[in-house]
This record gives sequence, structure tokens and C-alpha cells, in this order.
Amino acid sequence: MAQPVVSRKTYALTFGTLLGLTALTTGLGFIDMGTLNTGVAVGLAGVKACLIAGFFMHGFYESRTIRIAMIAGVVWFLFMISLTLVDYISRFW
Amino acid sequence: MAEPLALILREQFHEPSQQRETATLGMWIFISTEIMLFGGLFLAFTVYRMYYPRAFIAGSADMNIALGATNTAALICSSFTMALGVHSAEIGSRRFLNLFLALTMVLGAVFLGIKFTEYYLHYLDHRVPGPGFFFAGADASKAEMFFLLYFIMTGLHALHMFVGEGILFSMILRNRAGSFSAEYHTPVVLAGLYWHFVDVIWVFLFAIFYIEGLHLHKW
Repeated sequence: MAQPVVSRKTYALTFGTLLGLTALTTGLGFIDMGTLNTGVAVGLAGVKACLIAGFFMHGFYESRTIRIAMIAGVVWFLFMISLTLVDYISRFW
Repeated sequence: MAEPLALILREQFHEPSQQRETATLGMWIFISTEIMLFGGLFLAFTVYRMYYPRAFIAGSADMNIALGATNTAALICSSFTMALGVHSAEIGSRRFLNLFLALTMVLGAVFLGIKFTEYYLHYLDHRVPGPGFFFAGADASKAEMFFLLYFIMTGLHALHMFVGEGILFSMILRNRAGSFSAEYHTPVVLAGLYWHFVDVIWVFLFAIFYIEGLHLHKW
């Protein structure tokens, strides 16, 4: 391949954003937001994961076939966790 | 012996791009199985976290945030050097590929060193689940479950880091033998995918183990 998939500048920007988000995650962690703490921490982790998968792992640049394979694992996980939680949460009803 | 510098197009493929895409697809299917492996553990954590919220947040408040945040930064730096390594491979710079692979290995070793220091501190604090476990408060047995999941999940992650270090080392050896060029460097890209995936797992482990109870941390 003659042309690199992602430029060094894009990698550097992604890297800076990831470090910034880590600092933000840690900073927000010190604030007591009640039940929101978990949501914010996991939500920001999700944003970081998307940046890594999209730029570092070339997800935004790959063909449709590969993107389907990328998303399939995550979708499976979301199915498993949501269906299991539906069971566990409704046991208290 | 090392493969020659020119691209080897295996007979079942029409063109290099098809061969590359097939390899990448295979790697992503492997990563999906890894998501299933870690997914089961994340599910177990979620269910116990839901049943014992107070104990799990107390356990999380007991973590060493300085070491955890440093480790997260080290791993993100290592992902950056890995990405630059892939970039070097793409432009055919074997010297920089070597440099970035070695840097990634060093940062990975820093991560593992800090991780095992943390394990040692947990051991000194009697936080290792089992007969010697101690946790102040009414929720000790439930906090023990938090620490059990912590050791299993971060331990499995650390195991993946060791495997990653081995893969990176083999990439350095193959690069030194002259196996990679701007035309053919798929193994480096796949090794990078693995390394970044292990980074993604840590990002979530950091959020659920270190950040959740940080606001209750006692200094």
C-alpha cells in the first residue's frame, strides 16, 4: 500500500483527545453525582473505545464487510447484557 | 527463513487488497470472540454491581487512582506508538517500525510493572479474596466479590498484555529479518488491532473498577 490509511496528524489528535478524556473521566470521578457517576464513567469509556476502534483500529476507513464484523461482537454483547438485565431487574418486581 | 521482501499473493486470492481484507476480517472475528470472553465477565460484574451497589462502590473507593490513571495513560501512549508503528510499516520505514514496536513493548512493560505493584499493595492490604481477606465495614463478603471480579478481570487483561508483548517481540524479529515492506505488512496491522483491543478493554476496566467509587475515596 503506497498511501497510509490514517495520517500521523489524525493519530496525534486521537491520542490527545484520549488523554484529555482520561483526565476528564478521572476529574469527574471525584464529584459525587449519585447514580450518574457510573453512567458518566462508562459513557466516557464508550467514547474512548469508539475513538480507538475508529482511528487507531481503522474502523472509520474499512470496508462494509469488516465494519459489520466489528459491530457484530459489540451488538452481541449489548443483546446479552440487556436481555440478562431484563431478567435480573424484573425479579425484584 | 524470512519471507522475501516482495508481497506473497497466495493462490486463493485475486489481488493483494483482497488478501489483506480477508486477513483483517479474520482478525476482527477473533476479536469478536475476545469480546465474548470479556463480555461474560463484564456481565457478571454488572449483575453483582446491581445486587450489591454499596459494597461495590466501597470496593472501588479502595482502589489506588494514581496508579490506575497512570496505567491508563501508559496504555493509551502505547496504543499511539503502535498506531505510529503501523504507519511506519505502511510507508515502508523499517527503522521507525522497529523503534515504535520497541516503544510499545516498553510502555506495555511499564503497565504490567505498575499493575503487579498494585497487586502487591492489595496483598499487603489483605484484599486478596480467600481466608486472609479483610475489608472494614458491614459489606465485607460482598466487597470480596468485587475484589474477586477485579483480580479475575484485570488478571485476564494482564495475561492478554503478556501475549501482546510476545506478539510485538515476534514482529520486531520478523521486521529485523526483513519480512515487512510497504507492500506487505499485514501481520503488523493485525498485531496492532490486537494491541488496541486490549487497550479498549482496559478503558472499560478503568471506568468500572477505579472511577465508580472515586468520589468516596479516603485520602
